[in-house]
Parts: sequence; structure tokens; C-alpha cells
Amino acid sequence: MATEARILQPQEMAPRTIGRSILLTLPIGLWSVLMFSQFWGPNRSVQIASVMTPVFMIALFFMMMRTRSTYRWRRWFFVALGLLFPVGFIHTVMVMRGTMGIPIEEMIAGRTPFCFLPIPLLILPAAFTKAVVFPGSILPHGGMSGGGMAAMAGVWLAITIVVGKGWCSYACFFGGIEEGMAAVPTRAKLRKIDPRWRYGPWAVLLAMVLLSLALFEPAYCMWLCPFKAVSEYVAARNTVGMVQNGIFVVLFAGLVIALPLLTKKRTQCAFFCPFGAFQSIFNKTSVFDVKIDRTRCSPCVLCKTACPTLSLTDESIAQGETLMSCMKCGACVDACPKQAAVWHIKGTEVAVKPERARLMFLYAAWGVAIMFGGRIIADGLATILHVFI
Amino acid sequence: MASCGPVLVPSLLTERAGWRLNTRYLSTFLGARFLGYLLFAAVAWELGALVSIAPGPRMLVIGVVHVLLGCVLLWYAYSAGHRCAHACSGSELVTVGETKRRGVAGPAALGFLTGLSLCPPFVAAGVRAAELGSVAAALLFFAVFFVGTSIWFVPFVGLGCITRNEAVITVARMAMVLIALYYGYLGLTMLLGRKVYGY
Amino acid sequence: MKLRAKLGYAAAGVTVFVALLVPFVLYGRFTKGFAALGLHVDEVYSGGPMARTVQTGVYSIGIHRPVFPHMLQSETPFVQLDWKPVSALPGHVSDVVDVDGDGQPDLRVSFDVPKDPKAPLRVDVDALNPHYEAMRNVGKEKFSRLIVRVDDAILVRVPLAHP
Repeated sequence: MATEARILQPQEMAPRTIGRSILLTLPIGLWSVLMFSQFWGPNRSVQIASVMTPVFMIALFFMMMRTRSTYRWRRWFFVALGLLFPVGFIHTVMVMRGTMGIPIEEMIAGRTPFCFLPIPLLILPAAFTKAVVFPGSILPHGGMSGGGMAAMAGVWLAITIVVGKGWCSYACFFGGIEEGMAAVPTRAKLRKIDPRWRYGPWAVLLAMVLLSLALFEPAYCMWLCPFKAVSEYVAARNTVGMVQNGIFVVLFAGLVIALPLLTKKRTQCAFFCPFGAFQSIFNKTSVFDVKIDRTRCSPCVLCKTACPTLSLTDESIAQGETLMSCMKCGACVDACPKQAAVWHIKGTEVAVKPERARLMFLYAAWGVAIMFGGRIIADGLATILHVFI
Repeated sequence: MASCGPVLVPSLLTERAGWRLNTRYLSTFLGARFLGYLLFAAVAWELGALVSIAPGPRMLVIGVVHVLLGCVLLWYAYSAGHRCAHACSGSELVTVGETKRRGVAGPAALGFLTGLSLCPPFVAAGVRAAELGSVAAALLFFAVFFVGTSIWFVPFVGLGCITRNEAVITVARMAMVLIALYYGYLGLTMLLGRKVYGY
Repeated sequence: MKLRAKLGYAAAGVTVFVALLVPFVLYGRFTKGFAALGLHVDEVYSGGPMARTVQTGVYSIGIHRPVFPHMLQSETPFVQLDWKPVSALPGHVSDVVDVDGDGQPDLRVSFDVPKDPKAPLRVDVDALNPHYEAMRNVGKEKFSRLIVRVDDAILVRVPLAHP
């Protein structure tokens, strides 16, 4: 750790020149062309989406380079992902099945689409009995089974190796909804939040893992997942089914819509999501993190206020670190007036060439964002364009 | 192990760290569970009702036990929050109830109720025991069954190695509340006549 | 530059490289890896492995191995029977099925086959063997007790009687 505050050079605080920004954006441009050339199709709306989406992603990266800030540009991508995923998904569901409710026939046929959220719940039952307690298919099986459970698990593992818990800021196709809601008000109405609510995701993870093992069902999917409101749910066949569906509607309305509007925080992610708690473990394996340079820190705790997931506390700031729940969204770095909150590569000195660390992280994270989230955005966009074209 | 896990793991995590204390907790839990087994075995055998317990009365018993289990878990989660986390509290296990003298040790209450919860392996063992000639034989059979299933609890001692701090205890308490709500729901649906566990 | 810092930068560089590999190498390899783990979908959903098939004229009845619930699953043990192809089934099916292959009839299963594939199905099952439960006018009650049409087959799941 540096013992003296490093004085920032003027060129490090000013916007980057346009030429240099373009140069740094070039690799992302090439990557986008490569990724979206595979998306091109004969359909006019698909063609337009295949052009608009990479332009959108390249433009955002360019602005990240030009302004030297991350959070507000990344947020545009993430909100677009959160809004357009349901568009594309629900459209596909309605075309294939005619209803968002999953009928029991589809579950028996193994054609329930698999998302990443139940992954931590399936590990123990599979370890003990080799049975996957999810009514899907290991490999593609037609209908809504998509690429199969193995494909989703494969893409999850690959992306997690690259970004760790950055998944929650660059890949999760649900989190953008509440991030968008949190961005709407100019000021938070509810500012005092008991910090113990941060432990909620771990409690939900522990309870759901234990209940999934005991009941041999994906307990979180059956009972608690609020995002069934924007994807699909088990068609209610009896009173219990109706209660289960009522719960997710209430949780969605509360945790994803209302509380982010009131608190300007990602409340579902910060206080509830068990997958987020599980992903926090991979922050230990990720080589990138965010640090606080204590020689430069006031502390004004603007970073703590800016953090959407309460991943900074007075104690952690004093130690120069974020908590394990840090999603690497960049909000604290952009909010810090003294450039004390910085991107960091483990093993290197804090705040020595932080922009280099940020660039390396962004190349990796934006690369997977284009590959995974970008395709989802393009699909949603094509769905909307198809209505008009 | 899987059926007792939702009750045992969060309650173990609210206890203070250390494998000795965890072993003591587990012993209390298992001892009370054993009592629950024996009580059921003796009463049901004497009534001659072990084999022929109809689904209706069986569900009533399980339903009441599950509701009680949910209530004890909630009370346990509340009690754990009031326990002093420092050395001044000694090594007492969490006491469910207002005072130590009047209360029932938490793990004992949970173990006893878990023992009475009539999970499917237990019912299957009960059917086997009912075929034996005398209540002493039935009790012996249950004792052996208990020892055989208790071996699966040995790994839980390892939870004693996990550091206990505000985070771990808060997580455990919150998880306990969620699990208590689920057991409460299970119990209520059984009392309303809906079959669970296929029985 | 210290060794730790060099290793850190090297690891960061490798991570960026790995990000490039995700769509071309890693995704496919990990997918195949997960598929090769030998996992299977829980039998309460899939119906269990097929035990044998009985040919009855122009259609067949597939008999699965009985499925027993794990842990505290809220399903009864059951056996699944498949009638296929649906196109070859008469308007009303009433078959006596020897489920366990001992030469003795175990179940009589009766259901109508509507022309509309989306029409709801109902089944009556007479238990000729006390190991199985009878069913009257059952639709899609639960995973262990139903009749459904899946693709070109009609599946019936009959619960096993209480032990």
C-alpha cells in the first residue's frame, strides 16, 4: 500500500481525448462485430437489432473511456438488459405455449427453461443422488428447454470465472429492472436502512439450500423468486399454487419496484437474492476488486451512500475495502470526489495506475456483457421492432 | 440428515463456536429426538396402532408437531437475539423461554419435536417394529434404528469450526424464521387435510 | 515491480484472454462437462426409466419403473404408464395392465381420447392389485397422480398404495 497520497495528474482527471477514447474502444468494436455477425438473420427486425445493439454497446464503452466513469454508462446497458429480457422471453413463451404459466405437461416433458438462479439449490441434491431437482432437460429437448440446463450452467461458470460477482452488474438479466427503478427518483425517501438487512441474501440462501435438500424441489423457484412476474411461473392447479403465485407478485412489487423507488438501492439484490450471496463467494477468486486508498480518503462516505447494495460500511472504508457483496458496478469509484475509491488488481498496490486496472476489468466484463447480455438485448429489440416492421 | 438439516443447521449456527459446545448441542438434540422416537414407539405399540395408523390421524399428529416446530423455531430465533454474545453469558445453550429455570433447552425442544415429526423413514421403521413380538423388542428396534440414523449427524459437529460473529448469527436467525414459516405452512396444510410427504 | 504485482497483472491479463475464449471454447467445454457428469432429472418429473413396453395391436403401453420420493418430497410413490402413439388410440381406451410383469393383471385403466389435443383428460383406474391405488375421474392433480398428453403419448401416473 502507498504510504503517501499519490497526487493525481491533471490529465488523469480530465476527460480523455476523443482520439484516444476511440483507440481504446476499437477492440470492443471488433469484438462486437464478431459477436453480432452471428446474430444476423434474414428477418428485417433482426438485422436492425443486430446493428443497433452493438452500436449501443460500443457507444457506451466509448463514453466510459471518454469520461473515465463507469457506473452511469454501465447502468444504461444493465437497465436495457433488464427491460428487454422479459420482452423477448415472454414473447417466446406466448408463441410456444400461449401462456406464462408452465403447465405440468411441459414440466414432465422436461421443457421448463432453466435460469441461473436455482444453481446453488441444486448442488447438494445432485451431489447426494445425482438427480437434478428441476423439471428441465440436461441437454436441449425442444420447446422452451432452450440449450438445456448444461448450457446455462456452462455459460454461468465461464462468465463467473471472468467477472466473479460482477455477474450481478454485467450479466444478470433481472437486476436491471430494479436498477432502473432506483435511478428514477432524484432523492431517496427512505434513507435509514438497518445494515443487518445485508445478511438477508445469505439467510435466504441457507434456508433455500436446506429446504431444497429436504423437500427435493427447487424451493426458491417454487416459493420466493420475484422474477417469475417477468418470465414464467408454475400454472396454479390448486390453492397452494395460487398462494405461491401471490407471494411472487407481492415480492416483485415490493422488492423490485417499490423499495428501489423509495431507497434508490437495489433492494432485491442487496437484501434477498440467494444467488447473489452465492456469487459473493466468487469475489474471492476474482482478480479484480475495488479498494479505498486510505491516504486520500476524507472520509466523506459518499461512496457508502452511492453504493446500491450497501457493500461499504464505515469499518470497511477504514480498512480500505469493500464487502464481499461488491458487484463491481463502479458507483463508489465514480462518486468519490478524491479518487480514493479505485479499481484494483489483487497483488498490486492500491491506487497505483487504477485506470489500468479499470481498463483491464472493463475489457473482460464488457466482452462477456456483449456476448451474453448484448444478445438478449438484441433479441428483445428485434421482438419490439417486429411489431412495426 | 436432510430432513433434520433445516432445523439443525441454523440453530447450531446461533450457538457459539467450538466443537465441544456443538457436540454438546448435538447430543442434547439427538437425545431428545431419541426420547421422541421411544415415546411414539411405546405409545403406538401399546395402543396396537403402529401399523394401522390411518392417514387422517397421522396427518393430524404430524400437522400439530410441525406447527409446534415452527413456533419453537421462531421463539428460538428471538431468544438467540437476546443472548449475550460475550463471555459473560458462559457456555449456556440458547434457552427457549423467559428464564433458564422455567425454559426448556432449545436443542432439546427441537430434537424432541423432530423426533415426533414422523418422517417417512421413521414411519417405515415403525411398520417394521410393529411386526415384533413385544413392546421391548419394538423399543430395541427403534433404538438400533436411531443409532444407525444418528451416524449421519456426525458431520454437523464440523459446524462448530465456523466463526460466530454478528453476521453468522444474524443469517442463522433469519434463516430460522424462513424455515419456521415453511414448517408452519406445512403443519397448517396437514391440519386442513392436505396430504404432504405422500401420506 | 514486485513479484506480487507482476503476478496480479498476469492474472488480470489471463482473465481478459479467458473472456475472449468464453464464446468459442469455454462455453462449449463447460456445457459438455456438465452434461458428462451423469446427472439425470429427478424421476418425480421425468417419470422414471422405462421398464418394458407392451404391444397391444396398433399402439403400445410403456411401463416405467416405480418412482419413490426422495427425502421429504410431497409426492406419493407412483408408476407411470405411457400410451403411444395417440393417433392410433381408439376414442375410448380401457386396458388391463400387468405392471410388475408377473403375469397377473394389476390395473384396469380407462380414459377417453378426445380429438382436440388441448381438451382435458380424465382417467379411471381400478386397482386389481392392492399394491396400487384406485383413481376416479382424475385429471392433473399432482405429479404422482395424473393423466396428461405429452407430445404423441398419453401418460398416466398411478400412485402406489400406502405401505
